[in-house]
Amino acid sequence: MKGLLYKDIVVLRKQISTLLVFVLVYGGFCVAGVFDFSIIGVLIAVFGLTIPMSSVALDDTSHWDRYAAATPAGRKGIVAGKYLFTLLVILVSGLAGTAIMLVFSVVGLTESPFQELIVVTASCASVTLLLDAVLLPFMLKYGAEKARLISMITFVVIFGSIVLLGGLASNGASIPHLPDWLVTALPVVFGLISVGGFALSFAVSLGIYNRKEF
Amino acid sequence: MNNALEISHLTKDYGAFKLDDVSLTVPGGTIMGLIGENGAGKSTTIKCILNLIRRDEGTISVFGMDNLQQEREVKEQTGVVLDEVLFHDMLRPRQVGKILSGLYPNWDEALFTHYLEKFGLTGKKTVKEFSRGMKMKLAIAAAFAAKPRLLILDEATSGLDPVVRDEILDEFLAFIQDEDHAILISSHITSDLEKVADYITYLHNGRVAVSGAKDELLDTYGKLVCSKTDLERVDQSLLAGKRVGQFGCEALVKDRHAFARRYPALTVDPVTLEDIMVFTGKGDAQ
Repeated sequence: MKGLLYKDIVVLRKQISTLLVFVLVYGGFCVAGVFDFSIIGVLIAVFGLTIPMSSVALDDTSHWDRYAAATPAGRKGIVAGKYLFTLLVILVSGLAGTAIMLVFSVVGLTESPFQELIVVTASCASVTLLLDAVLLPFMLKYGAEKARLISMITFVVIFGSIVLLGGLASNGASIPHLPDWLVTALPVVFGLISVGGFALSFAVSLGIYNRKEF
Repeated sequence: MNNALEISHLTKDYGAFKLDDVSLTVPGGTIMGLIGENGAGKSTTIKCILNLIRRDEGTISVFGMDNLQQEREVKEQTGVVLDEVLFHDMLRPRQVGKILSGLYPNWDEALFTHYLEKFGLTGKKTVKEFSRGMKMKLAIAAAFAAKPRLLILDEATSGLDPVVRDEILDEFLAFIQDEDHAILISSHITSDLEKVADYITYLHNGRVAVSGAKDELLDTYGKLVCSKTDLERVDQSLLAGKRVGQFGCEALVKDRHAFARRYPALTVDPVTLEDIMVFTGKGDAQ
């Protein structure tokens, strides 16, 4: 497992460096007032979705999984390694995002309360976790290339629904309101759904991988 | 002497191709050579041992352990070189070592370094910059450094020049000096197997066509070189295959000693593994 995590980090070093440049550039835009600071949260999602997908794509290209499945790690180790790596990417980018926002808050570059910024990063991390939970089984079954199409469809469905609901609301359509207790508990509920979905996704991927032939 | 590998009635049906009722045993301290044409079932057999594909029937045990029930334990004891090198292009040998040290519990970094130096792989080159031979050497170094008891090699010596091949074959011979070690090697280069293998299994169309101790096979089989007239008067049941040419005929004799007693006037030469493979294949086609 340790070896698989190290492998993912080494083979994606260049891509991670490029994404870090994006963080600096977007951070600069935030300081300059071009973007809102919440864009940092979006970057967490970008990191959490693109890095695991690239990792699967590189494994597909070299057919690494055929070799890894022949090592003591086996099929279970490969799947567990990929899920652990995804978690690690989301965790590290979430922490980095929080740290950046904390710095901005402390030096007075943003007027938003720090708690609000924390909620933004936590929400983005939860959404990313849930999206990865949906995408990872497809990636492991069909490969990263085919899963790209599925990821695009997922984005269109999710963001299309949000835009549709927004449009309906602004046109005066009556949209049922959530009870207050649910609105209050929503961050926790959503966090639990994300974590539960990720665990369920791992079990599904393991089932898929156990049937895979190399 | 304990068996390192036992395959019993292994069957895998792909529809268009079937690996059919394959059984073989590799005793400890020996090398088993797996030969056969392309698509004969060599890689399928190896994939079944490594649980890379699901078998339909049969059992496989490595050092007495079932390869499915005790998969992790089996793989901890097994070093693997597959038919192509599957390390990522951007990796350097040292990084490959670091990755594999996290996967194999018995990984020996000093031994890996020893083989990297021996094979001239200590530079800064990445896998992408390696020739096929260098990639195979890296895979072989990694397989040894995992400190396995069983080595499984699928076409591991192909792409290597004769000098390096000879060096590697010497390493294989040194490896099996320990009675607890064994090697299963599939290869098209039958001359390599003639040098190092103790046992040979020839797979043909998914079935075991010939299997046994190499020396015994080479001693039992013979190559008859004769005229067409002579060939026609020979009992055809004594032959495993034949090649009829314009100027003469050749045939594979199943038991050259018995044949020589029955036809003392005909000359039967010693055979090579390639002869056994080619004639048996041709005999089956006829």
